[in-house]
Amino acid sequence: MPRVVKKFDSRMIEPWAFVAPALIIVLIFYFLPMILTIYTSFTPLRNWNISRYAHQIVGWRNYQRLLHAILNDPSVRAVFLTTFVFVSVTLTVNVLGGLLLALLNFFLGKKSSSLINTIWLLPRMAPIAVYALVWYYFFHGSKMGTLNSLLLKIGVISQPISFGQEFLPLGPWSVIVFVNGLVGVSFGLIVLSSAINSIPSEYLIAARVDGATDWQICRRVLIPQIKWHLMYVTTWQLLSLLTSYAHTYLLVSWKLVNKTYASPWALYVYDLAFTGVFDQGLAAAAGTVLVIVGGFLGWFTLKILGFDKLMGQPRGDL
Amino acid sequence: MALKDVEVKKKMNQFLYTVVLLAFSLPIITGFSLLILSSFSNEMVTNFDFLKTFLTLQNWKLLFQGRIALTGGLRENILLYAFNTLIVALGVAVLTTFVGTISGYAISRMNFKGRKILLIMMLLLHALPGSVLIVGVYFLYRVSMPTNYQFIRYFSFFYVIIARAALEVPFSVWLMKGFFDMLPWEVEWSAIVDGASRWKVWYRIMLPLIKPGVVAVLIFGFLAGWQDIIYVRTFLIDKTLATFIESNLETEVAYMPLLAAAATFYLLPTVLFYVFSQQLLFKVYAGGIRR
Repeated sequence: MPRVVKKFDSRMIEPWAFVAPALIIVLIFYFLPMILTIYTSFTPLRNWNISRYAHQIVGWRNYQRLLHAILNDPSVRAVFLTTFVFVSVTLTVNVLGGLLLALLNFFLGKKSSSLINTIWLLPRMAPIAVYALVWYYFFHGSKMGTLNSLLLKIGVISQPISFGQEFLPLGPWSVIVFVNGLVGVSFGLIVLSSAINSIPSEYLIAARVDGATDWQICRRVLIPQIKWHLMYVTTWQLLSLLTSYAHTYLLVSWKLVNKTYASPWALYVYDLAFTGVFDQGLAAAAGTVLVIVGGFLGWFTLKILGFDKLMGQPRGDL
Repeated sequence: MALKDVEVKKKMNQFLYTVVLLAFSLPIITGFSLLILSSFSNEMVTNFDFLKTFLTLQNWKLLFQGRIALTGGLRENILLYAFNTLIVALGVAVLTTFVGTISGYAISRMNFKGRKILLIMMLLLHALPGSVLIVGVYFLYRVSMPTNYQFIRYFSFFYVIIARAALEVPFSVWLMKGFFDMLPWEVEWSAIVDGASRWKVWYRIMLPLIKPGVVAVLIFGFLAGWQDIIYVRTFLIDKTLATFIESNLETEVAYMPLLAAAATFYLLPTVLFYVFSQQLLFKVYAGGIRR
């Protein structure tokens, strides 16, 4: 059968022609930059003067400087502490907030629930600059700030407070947790809502017939059914909090929050390379550490979520 | 008693839950409304002092005239910035959709050596956002930059689009794989038996069947490109709406209500897209996690 033989040949190459676009993008924009980042971390590159510095190799010096800074420089230690507090607190807010909203939303009628979804998706969809601007005015340290004006009106304070610059470190921490927390909550809300909605309604009807209250339905029916999704949201959100910094970047650059106590690790890397001292060697070393931590967490995430099961072979391929 | 008669969602509690949820949403509603309202006002109304202000279209007028302050000759071409933002957004949308639909098809419906490694790789890269590699991405940008000064501007557009799209590619591939997974095999088999190549099957049969998926990824990619600030400010030489707002808030001369108008203008397409494709977008954001 000549046709089958011909098909067999083309079938060896054809899939790779299809995946080529994704493969090329991944090679050029993930693997190459990863190698370049690791390489840069062994050079004294600064001010992006590639022709001058990129050929020199300084061994582990950038890593030694990083370690030295973590141990001795209070501002870098603050970055370390901020990362830990920011990631853990925001993660808790994200997961619990998302779960609470998803559960409450489940009991609503279609119209109200889609209204709530619309409101909560806004932080995620809005342009980052607009979203940051909203909170810039909200937490602004003058009478113009929304929170200040409210507190002044009800007489809790007599002078406007600069929430992000005073009360170190709790002030700036609260602001960045709040701002990033709202973005993350929508992720939990969406994922958990869709999980809850795919639970067969027979379970719920049976529970209701037996006289279960809303609370009991949540505890005994809904939450046990979405355990896997809760884990998914938690681990995914952990990774994204560790590695994203766009919102916080704007709040810091607009001086709404104290730079030292509002810079998580990822922002510290960006700041070192692009806005602060332009020390790309050190930034690359800090970035490499983040990639290693993130990569390990990512791999671990896939393991515990059992993603192997999702990789089943295409059943119908001839 | 018919099953329909069982009240799974109790009417009485619904009201209470709605009130609770709206109370939680209050900061978001307040923040965005005050910003939008301020754009139509002669002063920022973020402090609720509505009595001292009056409604005006002045900010919007000034914005489109390109004057960023009430006095002085500072000129900014806001429409050009909007156009730049649009180019980046459209570029990212088209590229992510193209890569997602073409590679997602192979990963979903073809069995080949290396498929599993590819899938794990996509998931891992999706889990670990590429933005942590920005030092390396910028290094590449600098060494691949053309020497001709005139080309650098175009090159920066080209580069920011691909680099930003690359961030969304693992997700879009994964998402489109999900859409392709749902299609029945019979159509594909019969086309192949009739002698169609996989390319033809993909283009003629599969793509029309997953139109909603394609639209969803297009919108998703567009919004990702439209909202971006970090990549745009790092790689793009020209200004976009995001960098316009970023740089103007830092200057002392900034006329705040005008910035509020710029922000509202910048927010508009997002809201429009959302209104028209809410259900679809919801699916996308929840996508890729079926189990």
